[in-house]
Amino acid sequence: MGGQACVFYGAAQFSKDVDFALLAGAENYARLHSALLALEAICIAVPRFDPAVLERGHAVHFRCQAPGVQGLRVDVMTRLRDLAPFLELWARRTTLTDDSGDSYDLLSVPDLVLAKKTQRDKDWPVITALVDGHYHSLGGQPTPPRIDFWLREARTPELLTVLAARFPAETQALLNSRPLLAHAIRGDLDAMRPLLDAEVRAEQAKDRAYWEPLRRELEAFRREEREAP
Amino acid sequence: MPPTSPDATLAVEMTYEQLPDEWKEWLDLTPIERFRESEKIFAQYLAMGGSLDPDPDPTSPFYDPPTSGSGAAYGRPGLRVLWRSAV
Repeated sequence: MGGQACVFYGAAQFSKDVDFALLAGAENYARLHSALLALEAICIAVPRFDPAVLERGHAVHFRCQAPGVQGLRVDVMTRLRDLAPFLELWARRTTLTDDSGDSYDLLSVPDLVLAKKTQRDKDWPVITALVDGHYHSLGGQPTPPRIDFWLREARTPELLTVLAARFPAETQALLNSRPLLAHAIRGDLDAMRPLLDAEVRAEQAKDRAYWEPLRRELEAFRREEREAP
Repeated sequence: MPPTSPDATLAVEMTYEQLPDEWKEWLDLTPIERFRESEKIFAQYLAMGGSLDPDPDPTSPFYDPPTSGSGAAYGRPGLRVLWRSAV
């Protein structure tokens, strides 16, 4: 998930770290532990690795020291805000394979878009690029779930106007859940811009509210670290 | 090759047809080709002294002012600011 997935999907060119969504469970933690040992990864920030802490929605951060990956940061999470449980995410993942037989399991684009709806300003242009890239790749093969995804998540007035003209019935059906589509039907780009901005502010506020107790917990973890003998 | 910068993101607010050629080339690659190209960009970034530390981001829930650096000058630890305008 995260930046590396965005590279595969064409929404970014590189990322400085690797983020993993993991199925919580003893067997999987053992496999994670083996992988981290092979990477000579050390936990570099609070919180310390703890399944209960991961379950509450925290991320655990590691830095690799093994030759070839020296300095690389790895972040692990088991739960993401507003995303389905891991097994559902896994069932609809994207799997890519290369010529050497290596495979890469990625969050699906719709799930990645949800995961990117954070309070961080830098995530929002990525969402725009993910949806635009998805439409560019698959716009020639529209299916009901794809049309629904594009109409719900497109973030440029230009694309929304194209979608509304191309899929009028589907647009009409979504007016209650995304009122700005009414402006897309009329092709009123300027009317959509402040409403798109308002969507961002609302999601950022939701994310800040979700993280507030976790942020307080992180501060407590940091205090404990500083005061530890 | 598209322009390189940490966590560089596709230019937005334009349709595919309006995108610069380098971005069209990027989108026209297969996902695996993009990953391979990204590995090359990553290697170049490291060779230029690029830092793997997270960029200071006060809007991130993980942001911790005491442990977050101010960021290297123009993204490179080998550069330092000698002079800059008042703005």
